[in-house]
Parts: sequence; C-alpha cells; structure tokens
Amino acid sequence: MSEPVLTEDQRDALQEVANLAMGQAATRLARLLDSFIELSVPRVRVVAVSEAAQALREMTGIQDPVSAVRQGFRSDIKGEALVICRSDSVEDLCALVSDPYSRSAYESVSQKELMFDVANVLTGACVSCILDQLGRTPVFSAPGLLGDALTLDEVFQPGVLQWEVALLVEVNFTLEDQSFRAHLVMLMAEESIRHMNDALDALLSSL
Amino acid sequence: MNSPAPSLSDLVVERVGFGIFVLDRDMNVLMWNRFMQDHSGLSAKQVVGKSLFTHFPELPRVWLSRKIESVFQLGSFAFSSWEQRPYLFKFDHDRPITGGVDYMQQDCTFMPLTREREVVAVCVTISDVTHVSIVQREREEAVAKLQEYADRDGLTGIANRRYFEARLQDEYTRWQRYGGDMSVLLFDLDHFKKINDQFGHGVGDTVLRVMAQRVAGVVRAQDTFGRFGGEEFALLLPCTPLEDAMRVAEKIRCTIADTPVEVQGTSVPVTASVGGAAARPGLPAYEVLINEADAALYSAKRQGRNRSVALT
Repeated sequence: MSEPVLTEDQRDALQEVANLAMGQAATRLARLLDSFIELSVPRVRVVAVSEAAQALREMTGIQDPVSAVRQGFRSDIKGEALVICRSDSVEDLCALVSDPYSRSAYESVSQKELMFDVANVLTGACVSCILDQLGRTPVFSAPGLLGDALTLDEVFQPGVLQWEVALLVEVNFTLEDQSFRAHLVMLMAEESIRHMNDALDALLSSL
Repeated sequence: MNSPAPSLSDLVVERVGFGIFVLDRDMNVLMWNRFMQDHSGLSAKQVVGKSLFTHFPELPRVWLSRKIESVFQLGSFAFSSWEQRPYLFKFDHDRPITGGVDYMQQDCTFMPLTREREVVAVCVTISDVTHVSIVQREREEAVAKLQEYADRDGLTGIANRRYFEARLQDEYTRWQRYGGDMSVLLFDLDHFKKINDQFGHGVGDTVLRVMAQRVAGVVRAQDTFGRFGGEEFALLLPCTPLEDAMRVAEKIRCTIADTPVEVQGTSVPVTASVGGAAARPGLPAYEVLINEADAALYSAKRQGRNRSVALT
C-alpha cells in the first residue's frame, strides 16, 4: 500500500481547485446571507492524527474554548467538515443568518438551530463547491454539535480515531468589519485521499 | 387507459417508511409519496400542482421558504432536527397510548435535485424519530433522578454534604462579586452518642430522620439544609445577616428541644447546640466560614449545650 499523500502537482491542483471553489462559495453565500463574507485563501495540509489538534491550533490561532459543529459529506471522496469558532463568538456567528421570527413571540428559533443553520450553509457552500470542481456531487448528513466549550484537543481523540493520516483543508470567514472569525475545516482520511489523488490526476490530465 | 408500469424506484418511493415530497422554487408540490398521504390524509392528486401552504397553512412559512431557497441558491443540503424543531407536519405516530408525545417527532432533510448542475427542485424527506425522542426523554429523566439521589443524604433525605458545600461555594462566589450578607449555621444533637448507646442505633437513626424532617419544615425555601455527617447538620442562609440567622438558630433549637421524639413507645428527649457565623469583608474562602460556625458551635457546647451562639 502506497502512502496516501499528495504529490507536489496534486497539491498545487488541489490548492487551485480550492481557491476557485471558495470564490464560488463566497458569491453564493453573499447572495444567500445578504452580507459580504470574506473567505480566506484555503490552506491545505496533510496531518497525522497525533498532530491534528496542534495543526488546527496553528491554522486557527485559537487557544480558547471553541464551539464546533460537525457534518459528514459523502461521495467516493468522503469526510467530515467542522465549523469552529471561539465559544464567546457563537452569537456573532449566528447573527450571519437572521432569525426569521426575531419579532415574533409565536415562532421562535433557538440559538442552537441558528448555529446549525449557519454551519450547514457554510459547510454546504464550501464543500459542495470544492467537490463540484472535482466532478463529485456530495450527499450531506445532518449537522451535530461536537461541543460548545471544547479544546481543540477534544475535537480529535487520537486513541479512538480510525485514521492515521488526514487531508485537512482550512478556510476562515470574516465579515467585512472583521468583528469575528469562524473556521471551516474539511477532513478526509486515507481512503478518500486516494480518491482525491485520482480526481486531481484526472483534472490535471484534462488540462 | 393503460399507464406504464411503475419502475422499481417508483415502487420503493411509494412504500418506503418515511415521507418524501418534492417542491419547486415557488413552494408548489411536484411529488407526494404514500407516507405523506397516509399521515396527512391528503392524496398526491389533491396536493400535487398546488402550493404546499394551500393544504398546510399552519406550516412555518418564512422558515420553510428560507430553507428551500437556501437549497436552490447553494445547491447543497439543509436539515431540521426534532431536537430544535419537534415536527414540521402535525402527524400522528404509532405510540399514541404509551408515547406521551403530541405529534410525530420529525427529522427533515432538504435535498437539491440537480440536472446539468442546476437545481431543478428540492426533495424533502421526513423521518419519524418519535421513538428516539422518547428514549432520549426517558434517559434525561433517569439522569435527573440520579442527579437528585447524588445530592441527597440516604438516611434523612435532606441535602448531603457534597451538595451543601457546592451550594455554599456558589453562594460564596456570588457574595464575593456582589457583596451583601450570607450566614451559615452548624448544629449538633447534644449527647447523641448516649441516645445510640441507651436505645440502640435504630432509634438513633429515627431521631436523626425525625429531627431532619422537623427542621426542614421550618427553614425557608431559599436556604440549603444539609446533613454534614453523623449528628451534625448545616444550614446555609443566603442574603441573611448574622442577627437574622441567629433568630433562625433559636427557632431550630426550639423545634428540636420542645417535643421529644416518640420511638417504639419510648419518648426520647433531644436537644441541640447551634453555632452561627456570617461572611465578613476579607473572608478568604468559604471553608473559613464553616470553621467559624464550628468554633461557635464548640462554644455553645462548652457553655452547657441546648443553646445557640454566634461567632463574635
């Protein structure tokens, strides 16, 4: 079995695919949420399970407790997406989607539902756009709360995880006024990295 | 008229055990499966071609329209969980007798249906998760019950020491931040060892139980009354100055001493000594307050028992 890591060409191609996808995702999100969301240039890394938390700390710069929502996506390339923000900026994150019933006592939407909605929208836009560039149409599972005051170490528990190496794509979001930052992390394990390699090779050879 | 035989996937969609229907961008129904028909009482013929809100005006219109629109715009999935929104449709469920749930609890998925990368319609699936919600509710109730047991003293049924100290710590933290008053009383049944020796441990236990119940009946709702261990009890009085706390101390002392406990035909006279202390500026930790009340209690014992003494 060969090591499921990316060659330099594949890595460049994935970076390019991710860049293009984030442009698309930003446009769709701006239209849907009616506010301009800045998406960072995505960062691509291959990490061992033991380094995953540290890699995430470096990429996000977060030492504080975080809230994290997870969601699975599935095609031949499958994995999980995490939306992570500092626990104390959850309200800012939720403000991205306005409560449709903010003035109504009759209908109310809980903060948790808003949080799932935002996470789902961010994940949906970014992951769909990246996989779309690779010719895949993913199926998503429902979002779930990993925790609302976690350390990044608690996000990955090396002892119980089934993977050893993962491909990690990180994008961060800010509003125009830079008031807060949220992070989307797409994680794919060994099997999916191999499918990703194939998809990238197919893309490269079609150029 | 001969209609073409339904495909296998048509048959599956008709028979499958969850709701499937399809909406266009204007919320018109394009497809409606058998599950939806059985639970709503409306057939595909009645529903298809009309706005969903025609037959279901009670649906959360703004919320639902926005979900559907987000799927069209992003070309990605949307979800709704029973934990946040128990149901979309007011459907009945298969546990009307034993369930204790009003309507079928539903998880909903909104899927984009795409042709040539364009979202042409949105498919909504409705899963019946009533049983999951019932199991979860039962688990939450069991945890709450366990939690309550964990906070109680087994013999007397009042708060145990662990719970008392947790409440005291909370109150101390509040006092540190906002100031004001807080007092603690410690009390002890006098010569309890003699009662045990003379009448046996069974009688001793009854005395503890009866006294705890009597005192619990006279303390205020906002106070925490706990068994501290052996024959020693503690009362936490939030927002109460020492003077008022000592009035409560006297009330407790009289409640205990005024009437002997009747056990197995014997009348057992019981008295108690009470020590009180209040938080003063500079109090470094809640344990110090306990120590001060304990010192006052010791002083009450030395002065001849059956009395209450405040730390001065």
